[in-house]
Amino acid sequence: MTIPAKVRRSWLVTPVSQPERVSAAPSAGADVIVLDLAEFVAESDKPAARESLRDCLFPAKSTGAEVFVQIDPELMLADLSAAVWPGLDGIVVTRAETAEQIMAVDAIISDLESRRGLSPGSVALALNLETALGNHNGFEVSTASSRTCCLSLGRADLVMDLRPEPSGEIHLMQYLMQRLVTLASATGTVPLGAWWRFPDRGLHATPENTLEAALRGRAIGFKGSFCVLDNQVRPLNEGFTPSESEVAAAHGLCEAYASATASGTFTVLCVDDRVLTPDIARQAANTVAFSEACSTRDRFKIAAVDGVPIPVP
Amino acid sequence: MASTPRRLKRSGLTMPIVTPRFINNAWHRGCDFINMDLEDSVPPNLKDVARNLVRESIPVVNKGGSDAVCRINHDLMEADLNAAIWPGITQVNYPKAEYGHEIERMDEIITRLEAERGIRPGTVEIGANIETAVGVANAYEIVTASARVMDFGGAAGYDMSRDLGVEMFVSFDQFVYGKGEVELAARAAGREPHAAPFTPNITGSVSDPDRAFAEADAARKCGFRIGGGLHPAVVEPQIRGFASSDDEISDAQWVLQEYRKLARTGTTWVQIDVSTVDREGSPRPMGADSYLGRHRVIDRYEASRAEELLQWRDLCRERDEEKAEAVARVRASEAE
Repeated sequence: MTIPAKVRRSWLVTPVSQPERVSAAPSAGADVIVLDLAEFVAESDKPAARESLRDCLFPAKSTGAEVFVQIDPELMLADLSAAVWPGLDGIVVTRAETAEQIMAVDAIISDLESRRGLSPGSVALALNLETALGNHNGFEVSTASSRTCCLSLGRADLVMDLRPEPSGEIHLMQYLMQRLVTLASATGTVPLGAWWRFPDRGLHATPENTLEAALRGRAIGFKGSFCVLDNQVRPLNEGFTPSESEVAAAHGLCEAYASATASGTFTVLCVDDRVLTPDIARQAANTVAFSEACSTRDRFKIAAVDGVPIPVP
Repeated sequence: MASTPRRLKRSGLTMPIVTPRFINNAWHRGCDFINMDLEDSVPPNLKDVARNLVRESIPVVNKGGSDAVCRINHDLMEADLNAAIWPGITQVNYPKAEYGHEIERMDEIITRLEAERGIRPGTVEIGANIETAVGVANAYEIVTASARVMDFGGAAGYDMSRDLGVEMFVSFDQFVYGKGEVELAARAAGREPHAAPFTPNITGSVSDPDRAFAEADAARKCGFRIGGGLHPAVVEPQIRGFASSDDEISDAQWVLQEYRKLARTGTTWVQIDVSTVDREGSPRPMGADSYLGRHRVIDRYEASRAEELLQWRDLCRERDEEKAEAVARVRASEAE
């Protein structure tokens, strides 16, 4: 397991064109609020949404969330011009398809960072590989910009028109999910997603199904997921945080490994009838560290609500 | 390349061209296409005989309205194409496709033969079938090698099983990776994937009508449109399995009606509990216990699916009428 640089378990996508949703989003407890200009904003509402976006950035961070803005690459200049202001943490690119497209996004962001007083390179990119071409070009797309921190399949089930099989699995998704997790690991980015099944569609699910999807998703390598409803945030946070029993078991492995190696030169040990190798010990240490990072992240959000700012972990 | 109308390929029979009773009786089976085989069903000593039969068999197999297509041999491509490309052939199926240059070579030969034999340029499509690990590795290169590749799939079946050394008829999907690569390549290239959701098959029966229906039904619900088989008993169940039901058609009309209402509100989606919708009259949604579920989202994606479903209904209807009229014409002329 690679420890994400930042704990970003829940990404709540909120249409900028719906002020009541934007106002309510911070209280949902998401690690990241994604102010959407692309997927859930009607074409006729986009100009007004872009106008209002700058004023939404700091309020969205009031409970400790990071703020990303989700853009439509066909409208990248207008969307990025509306989004790249102080307070912005990153951009989610929907329908990411080619390296050229991502390089163009990167260049526009660099220009806006320098003109608007943001630190160079401070705006991160999360890329949604939602089309067949985007997935096919995945390696080139995800290495086109050093800003890219996260990859996801976004709403590929809808964009690629993938429908449920008789088993309830969404057609092609098991292949695409494993491909994405592998790709992310190969490119040093963080894979985002959850293992949704019918009747879930387009990131839309009940809280119960969201928890199940997060637990399955974490098991195959995802570190967090997008969602579209406030009540999905808590299940995502829970599903992507190591459970108490996992952390206790990981502590046990770490201690067993430390005491054994302190007393000898073992590289393969047996603990409770299971093999313990240096890599397994390292993975257990990562679980402990990620659990602690989650706790720090949660304390930071509580402190933000209480009006006691502490540095972003 | 000239644009041609979309060809329906819901059901088709692959048969040895050297077996006259198959070829002579195929026209009234109701297939969308008849695949005259020069490959695995023809023994090596009959390949020359087989090639000489293609031209005269085309009017025989398509007199009932079925498209005439031909499966050639991977290793005898040039000789087989020379035998197969005649007026009336709509597609050549190329097995064990492994490299883009093979498809480029096919395209060159087909282009020349179309010109020499009076066939409108671009008429003959290529069905490229992946049946080896090398083909999986080169899937995108193969599907993009020619604009004629309009039917692309495989990475499963008899030859793939042999290539990988795995049993073909098992209760789980042993080809997830290869099929995924091939389908992704087809979709990335904008071509129709020849694929289907996995359904367990441990018998290997080629004539089971119930299984043929279940496979086609699952494929249709997943959005796939291409079928085919080896036995006449599977033709009718496949046609039925690929047909949208009256309930699905009414449901699609309901989705479009709800989407038009939604579009006027400026919001992009709405969720509707269909158990609360008055299901008298039409259009109406499928019931809460249907495969579409109880809580239905209406948005541009569902509207797009609904539009496609209605277009598909029309295409199927037109194609079925076309074939029925062709069969009736033959019957009438035989009666005279």
